[in-house]
Amino acid sequence: MRILELDNIHAYYGDSHVIQGLSLYVDKGEAVSIIGRNGVGKTTTLRSIMGLTPPAQGTIKINGEDSTKWTTNKVVTKGHVAYIPAERHIFPGVTVEENLRIAERKSKKNDQWNLDLIYNKFPILAERRKQDGATLSGGEQQMLAIGRGLMSNPSIMILDEPSQGLAPLIVETVVDTIKQLCKDQTLTLILVEQNYHVAMDLASRHYLMEIKGKIACDMSSQECQEDLDKLIKHLGV
Amino acid sequence: MDGHIFIVQTVLNCLVLGGLFFLIAIGLNIIYGISRVINIAHGSLYALGAYFGYTLVATGLNFMFALILAPLMVAIVGIVIERVILLPTRDRPMVYTLILTYGLMVFMDGLLKYIWGDQILFIHPPDFLSESLTIAGVPYPFYRFFILMATVASMASLYMLIEKTKVGIIMRAASTIPEMVYSLGIDMKLVHVGVFAFGCALAGLGGIIAGPLFTVYPMMGGEMLISCFVVLVVGGLGSIKGVTLAALLIGTVQTLGFVFITDYAMVIVYVMMALILLFMPKGILGEGKFE
Ligand SMILES: Nc1ncnc2c1ncn2[C@@H]1O[C@H](COP(=O)(O)OP(=O)(O)OP(=O)(O)O)[C@@H](O)[C@H]1O
Ligand SMILES: [Mg+2]
Repeated sequence: MRILELDNIHAYYGDSHVIQGLSLYVDKGEAVSIIGRNGVGKTTTLRSIMGLTPPAQGTIKINGEDSTKWTTNKVVTKGHVAYIPAERHIFPGVTVEENLRIAERKSKKNDQWNLDLIYNKFPILAERRKQDGATLSGGEQQMLAIGRGLMSNPSIMILDEPSQGLAPLIVETVVDTIKQLCKDQTLTLILVEQNYHVAMDLASRHYLMEIKGKIACDMSSQECQEDLDKLIKHLGV
Repeated sequence: MDGHIFIVQTVLNCLVLGGLFFLIAIGLNIIYGISRVINIAHGSLYALGAYFGYTLVATGLNFMFALILAPLMVAIVGIVIERVILLPTRDRPMVYTLILTYGLMVFMDGLLKYIWGDQILFIHPPDFLSESLTIAGVPYPFYRFFILMATVASMASLYMLIEKTKVGIIMRAASTIPEMVYSLGIDMKLVHVGVFAFGCALAGLGGIIAGPLFTVYPMMGGEMLISCFVVLVVGGLGSIKGVTLAALLIGTVQTLGFVFITDYAMVIVYVMMALILLFMPKGILGEGKFE
């Protein structure tokens, strides 16, 4: 079942037309990555889904419902989408615990996540709960950003370059954490990555994006392995 | 004059004026911090609170009820202002709201004169507040003491709100990375209108409180606006602690200025502002967020 569908979307920043007709879909419980070089429009695609840079043309559907015109707030609350931007955007001058609490929402259905469960999952955050979020290390900030995203009990988690700027060892921890979260397939993952090892480790299907948001193809992890040359050419690594 | 009496009364007067500046300036400051709007009409909303208070009390309402009702009425006016002129210009550069709220100030000041006239009006506080009480062996008007208590209570509740509640976390977070606040599913439209209405209510509260002290007259809004700008510059726009300190500081300087050199009191205030602008452009605590 399709949990997310983008149909021929176009997005602009002012006059610059950065996404020119992009279509993709994600099934429920799937883990999908978008890979491509710098500046091809990966982040803009995610921003379009979130309603932060709404598409000028085309439609987006979340759970079969047309969400193209939804406000960001609605995408999160009604579409159950959590967005973790590449910059992580941990609020400075706000403690770790407050960074988590801001995303908390009381809903009627039996929620999977709450503050205690997040602390259980990320003991380092419990240790630093009273600390200013801005004082955490890059890896800890990424954990906090993921934990904060989970606080809204999402069914779709959108992660923009979770490995960016982290040391290899820390990347491994972050990857393990994300893997565990996706294990029972109740969470759908959409991942943007330039590190294709991470992408292949986490996602099972991969969209290769070219300039202006053009999707060149979609490949399974196995096809990627068999055709590494193509992948590498795409990423220009 | 008895030195002891003079000192106690002057210290209290400094705090009263500082507290009043705090009430008005903090609203302006929070609105800027979260919505990046400098509301030039903020002084007019303060005046509106005083005029509403005047009318409510003149029609026979208990002053204590008017103290609650007048700010609420100003908040409602604030909601209308936010919806009509701020919401449509949310994504535009700040000049738009500067010009629009400037126009609003001119309009509101005209409207106040049109409705209530040019003359000076008086708000009569209830009898028990008109007496005087003894503080540290010195007689002091009960009403001024009441203002002091009311501002301390407002200051304390505001700090509780900001430090301890989820609304406070949202306010602090939104003044740093607003986009991430929406990305977490918080309805920022609601936050903007809520914060604006809240700031207006505080200005309205300041207005009705100031009424019995300084009388109610058409220019009161403009004068208060200027004092608030001085407070914001000295405290650092966007910094809550800085503005709290600055309100007390300017209240003190202005009170002492009037006691000792009357005619030049405001000159000292402006010189102080100029010096701070020159040497501490981010305010006394260096926390200002002016862009
Ligand atoms: N706020 C903006 N205003 C104008 N142009 C922008 C803005 N943000 C991005 N762009 C441009 O839009 C294009 C797509 O940017 P986007 O951030 O989506 O790329 P990306 O694939 O995420 O790149 P990266 O791998 O570097 O993160 C780029 O050419 C970029 O320069
Ligand atoms: Mg990007």
